[in-house]
Amino acid sequence: MQAFLLKRFLLSAISLIFLVVLVFFLIRLTGDPASLFLPVDASEEAREKFREINGLNDPIMVQFFRYVGDLVQLDFGTSMRRAEPAIDSVLRGFKWTLQLALITMSLVTFMAIIIGSLAAFRAGGVFDRIVTFFSLIGASAPDFWIAIVAIVIFAVNLGWLPTSGTGSFWHWIMPISVLFIRPFGLILQVVRGSMLSVLSSGYVKTARAKGVKDNIIIFVHGLRNAMLPVITVIGDQAAGLLNGAVIVETIFGFPGVGKLMIDSILQRDFAVVLASIIVTAVAIFIMNILIDILYAILDPRIRY
Amino acid sequence: MKFSSYLKGGLLSVMIALPAMAQANSVTIVLSEELDIVDPCEASRSNIGRVVLQNIAETMTELHPQNGLQPRLAESWEDMGGGTWRFNLRKGVSFSDGSAFDAGDVAHSLARIKSDQLSCEIGAKYFGGMDITTNVIDDNTIDITANPAQPILPLLLSTVTIMRSTEPMDAYVKEPIGTGPYTFDQYIRGMQINLSANPNYWGEAGSVKAAKYIFRSDSAVRAAMVAAGEADVAPNIALQDATDKAMDFSYPNSETVYMRIDHDVAPLNDVRIRKALNHAVDREAFVGSILADGTLLATGMTPPSTIGYNHDLKPYAFDQAKAKSLIAAAKADGVPVDTEIRLIGRINNFANVQETMEALQSMFNDVGLNVKLEMYEVAEWLEYYSKPFADGRGPIMVEAQHDNANGDPVFSMFFKYASGGLQSGINDAKLDNMIADATSATGSTREAKWKNTFKYIHEDLVGDVMLFHMVGFSRVNDRLDFTPSIRTNSELQLSQIKFK
Repeated sequence: MQAFLLKRFLLSAISLIFLVVLVFFLIRLTGDPASLFLPVDASEEAREKFREINGLNDPIMVQFFRYVGDLVQLDFGTSMRRAEPAIDSVLRGFKWTLQLALITMSLVTFMAIIIGSLAAFRAGGVFDRIVTFFSLIGASAPDFWIAIVAIVIFAVNLGWLPTSGTGSFWHWIMPISVLFIRPFGLILQVVRGSMLSVLSSGYVKTARAKGVKDNIIIFVHGLRNAMLPVITVIGDQAAGLLNGAVIVETIFGFPGVGKLMIDSILQRDFAVVLASIIVTAVAIFIMNILIDILYAILDPRIRY
Repeated sequence: MKFSSYLKGGLLSVMIALPAMAQANSVTIVLSEELDIVDPCEASRSNIGRVVLQNIAETMTELHPQNGLQPRLAESWEDMGGGTWRFNLRKGVSFSDGSAFDAGDVAHSLARIKSDQLSCEIGAKYFGGMDITTNVIDDNTIDITANPAQPILPLLLSTVTIMRSTEPMDAYVKEPIGTGPYTFDQYIRGMQINLSANPNYWGEAGSVKAAKYIFRSDSAVRAAMVAAGEADVAPNIALQDATDKAMDFSYPNSETVYMRIDHDVAPLNDVRIRKALNHAVDREAFVGSILADGTLLATGMTPPSTIGYNHDLKPYAFDQAKAKSLIAAAKADGVPVDTEIRLIGRINNFANVQETMEALQSMFNDVGLNVKLEMYEVAEWLEYYSKPFADGRGPIMVEAQHDNANGDPVFSMFFKYASGGLQSGINDAKLDNMIADATSATGSTREAKWKNTFKYIHEDLVGDVMLFHMVGFSRVNDRLDFTPSIRTNSELQLSQIKFK
């Protein structure tokens, strides 16, 4: 296992280096930050001054090696827009995104596993059909629309919940609900499909014949064997959330890393873009390693 | 009852009442984006201006929509000749940290906006191409010299926020300190900015004692917040969200939309084609449909409230037959009218910009031109809009929206129309002279010269396809007595907000 972990860390590090190099050069092809930072009426003299102050006039390889040299010392550069260390902006945003992702995925996993398993146990029944119907709607519905409609109904018309912001427990209900819907629909279907396959296997039939209780069959004998593909999809969905739930962050005013990344790309704030990518990539690499470890726990046949 | 019981009861009442009173005297303003910088030298950016301008940091003079240029930190000024103006400063003014305001602060603020070590938007936007020098006569008197001479220097100073002379020349401040009626208390990044009333302010205290600024990108959410009572003012909401007649206000927002025509490339270098483009557009069809009611048809680059705006000019009539005949005449003379003309639009430039551009493309093609629409986000759009223009680029029209809330065309005309102007598609020596002439004129002569310049551009040169003076929308909570104006596009003075 230790050798496996070491190998995974090394591979992840290589991927990260490749990603950083690629993004560093690609983003500099997208336009001049001076044009975006300064007003359109700014003179060429003012633009030159901006480029000089921010080191943008240096040859690109000089900029690159300067960046690498700083990165080795964990200096991620300074945000041109915010005039603060880029890593400060990113970590501040990542804190919110991580909270949103963790809470959402915990709820999604818990509920999708229970409901998907129950639906699979009585496949074709009323419960199964209702669950399948709503999960497909959830998997297809546009979160932007759901978010706005939720605000209009629950905040403006009914006054039950705040429209947006992060202040209290009540502020988190709508954003998490909106984020919850699509991964829940997707993962529920994966759980259901995986459980259907497991529940038709020989050992489950044997367990039934021996009179084992239904909940033991589902949640002890069946679920563990059905979880491997489910964990893969959970990991994939979680990675998507870690990248930042941009729409939810934008609508509900959560200052997360997703919105920060989009804004920084549009503003050509190079240091923040790179810092966002590095932080998010590291989080995803760690998550992938944890998933691999979980595979080994769930299925003793898997050994690294 | 014992006295202590009365005392406890009284204290309890005060404890309940005070927060309520504090809430009653405070406002929450929801902005469309988080402020990346709060340095007053960036106050010409709309959202930064709405927090900082005249709330925290004040200017020497102030332009009022109705009353023209007024004193603020400068009480009076006089033209000393040779490009020099003498400003007599208000006495007894201090910054919110207690330090006295004097001429040295003015000198420092002017030097700072032009500093080589800092990119200040105010310096870049309003003071490009000119040298500013200062001579402190005494604590309350300062001479400011512009080279080349600026007859509107007092107006230009309505854009310069005054900061302490101790502020760094090479870094943005994170907690701005100014002479204004409010102090900058706290910025919780990504969440909110808190201001409170400056107890040492030299002027009249406003009704608002505290303000909280929060940030929501989506217009529907900003509007919903005011509707739900979570915010008091959303200074900028989209047309489609301005659905409540009681709370929503439209106001001319000092933005003018137009198509910049590249005069150097055929067929756009032919005035008949430029006239045809103008006659092809049914401007009135946009108002009340794609664009808001109250949108005005434009004949000049600056809003109608600007000095020198020529109110006698008429928008080009929608006349497809005339457009077609102009094109036919040009074609007969060998003008390559069938050449594809690229129409460059900017994504998210204003509400319904995509629909507007598609309609315009259709109108141009309906009269026989060959126009292709391309929409770009701002960085790529800028490469078409600002010089240097690419060689061999072909005929191009660029959609743009220009803001001038500063009362004088000088902030617009050189950049947009002079041969050396960064966004100018025109190369006309006569126009260059007219612009230079009007820039250096004063009083009624200045006004007349600008009027003639607008007329020349609109009728003789047919400089652009001039389209619309836009309106903006704000939502204001019922409990406030506040009416947005043209200035709301760039500032939101808390002292102008009252409670009903």
